[in-house]
Amino acid sequence: MTVGEAQRAAGTRAGALAAARRRRLRLDLGDWGVRIGSVLFVLAVWEFVAPRFNPLIIRPPTHIFRAFGELIANGELQEALGQSLREFSGGLVIALTLGILLGIASGRYRFVYNAIDPLVSALYSVPSVALVPLIAVAFKFQGDAPRIATVALFAIFPILINTQQGVRNVDRGLLEVAKAFNTSERRLWTDVIIPSAVPFLLAGVRLAIGRALIGMIVSEFLVGLVGLGYLIIVYENVFRIDRMFVPVIVVATMGIVLMGLVQWIEGRVAPWTRREQ
Amino acid sequence: MAVAERLVVERASKTFGGGELTVFADLDLAVRDQESVCVLGPSGCGKTTLLRAMHGLVGLDEGRIVVDGSVVLRPRSNVAMVFQHFGLMPWKSVTANVAYGLELAGVARQEIAERVTRYVELVGLKGFERSYPHTLSGGMQQRVGLARALAMEPDILLMDEPFGSLDAQTREILQDELLSILQITGVRGGRAPATMVFITHSIEEAIALGDRIVVLSARPARIRETISVDIPRPRTVASVIAHPRFVELRDRCWRLLRERTA
Ligand SMILES: Nc1ncnc2c1ncn2[C@@H]1O[C@H](COP(=O)(O)OP(=O)(O)OP(=O)(O)O)[C@@H](O)[C@H]1O
Ligand SMILES: [Mg+2]
Repeated sequence: MTVGEAQRAAGTRAGALAAARRRRLRLDLGDWGVRIGSVLFVLAVWEFVAPRFNPLIIRPPTHIFRAFGELIANGELQEALGQSLREFSGGLVIALTLGILLGIASGRYRFVYNAIDPLVSALYSVPSVALVPLIAVAFKFQGDAPRIATVALFAIFPILINTQQGVRNVDRGLLEVAKAFNTSERRLWTDVIIPSAVPFLLAGVRLAIGRALIGMIVSEFLVGLVGLGYLIIVYENVFRIDRMFVPVIVVATMGIVLMGLVQWIEGRVAPWTRREQ
Repeated sequence: MAVAERLVVERASKTFGGGELTVFADLDLAVRDQESVCVLGPSGCGKTTLLRAMHGLVGLDEGRIVVDGSVVLRPRSNVAMVFQHFGLMPWKSVTANVAYGLELAGVARQEIAERVTRYVELVGLKGFERSYPHTLSGGMQQRVGLARALAMEPDILLMDEPFGSLDAQTREILQDELLSILQITGVRGGRAPATMVFITHSIEEAIALGDRIVVLSARPARIRETISVDIPRPRTVASVIAHPRFVELRDRCWRLLRERTA
């Protein structure tokens, strides 16, 4: 009796799911239409307005597009991007590793929390830019190290703090369930603590990406002029605003793509946090 | 086994906040093998705390709890609990949630798969094995919680207001299903039905499910009275409500809950 009911329910449920998926697809298409339309609109206005101003201040999108081609043709863009990506990914990997480890340790062990919390609060409230010269001196201005360290410094705090919060905010009810079924410490981590911390961690990574990009450009301005930051400065100094915009757009695109990627991962690994319908 | 008393609470007292809040004091209770005891008490009187103590999840200040002749110090694998808040892991599918306790108990993979299939079907969730809790209704979620406990094939079931947060209709359906599940002897690998302690603050539920009802007073909880429910099994909620003894039992529980502690 109940089994029959359940099967019937399962049937209608499959139908409902398919309908919801179709509805979502339509919604998604609508969303994307609006997004793209809004960007195109801004570009159109920009194209139309820009020629009325001094070309030293603003250039229309078509000029920037041409500058894109030029910088790719002479290889400058690829080289700068490669340099910046090295710093960015190196710094982010360090921030992720240290941030997750320290976040977990401080979320779980009171001693670690007390040991690092004042330092974290202090470093997080000082504008990270102010620490860049210190880092440069510490690493003797040599190679990519000071820039990688800067990216790591900019990115680590949201990761650390969010992971810590995730570990501390584990549902007490679930901890009790685990205890009631006689969990081992290892299974407590894999079944309960880590899965419940992952959505927090990913939200932290999303914030960290934006900060890491800022750290990347700032360190390229302040420590040794290389990469995309170098392109920005150089073409600003020679008033080639069209070329200056190219690395700016590249950085913006990196941010959009990476944050979108993390958001997509969030939806995949933590579907229960997704607000649906 | 000829154990007449499966679970015994002896002069149990529990306080929180270093003695500031006395949750229950001097509680005595004996649950016989295969008996179903409902604990009825007002909201916040300490029912959950009592059940947690029975499972060794909190210690007592005084007294002791004995299961099968030995003092309870930590959860044991022949006792399973169903939670007021369901307690499902949102990141685990129905199958994985039901398998959870079995995995921790070290049951063989093959056996886990068989039991999961059997108990998921028994609670009426066939077809939802791969669903995640957030896609299920409250009633279905608690079916998962029930299957997780039943799959342990426990000797003792500890139920903490499992249907308390469900709507009246779903609640009655689940009460009926629990009644019939407990009456199937095959459920526990051919052994006799489990002993059950069922916490509730619904009088009807206590009468429908219990062989005995223990009525607690407001905090600090004491046993006001123990009432035998002399309504024969097999029961359904409808048959219990229609039974001539029902009204009298209900009025008696109701008076006990309403009366101020003397
Ligand atoms: N870990 C704890 N620390 C301090 N106080 C607690 C703790 N657990 C429970 N209490 C207190 O003990 C009292 C009894 O709580 P308990 O959850 O056992 O009541 P209950 O009868 O199950 O209530 P309900 O009907 O709402 O489920 C409450 O006042 C509660 O605030
Ligand atoms: Mg309770």
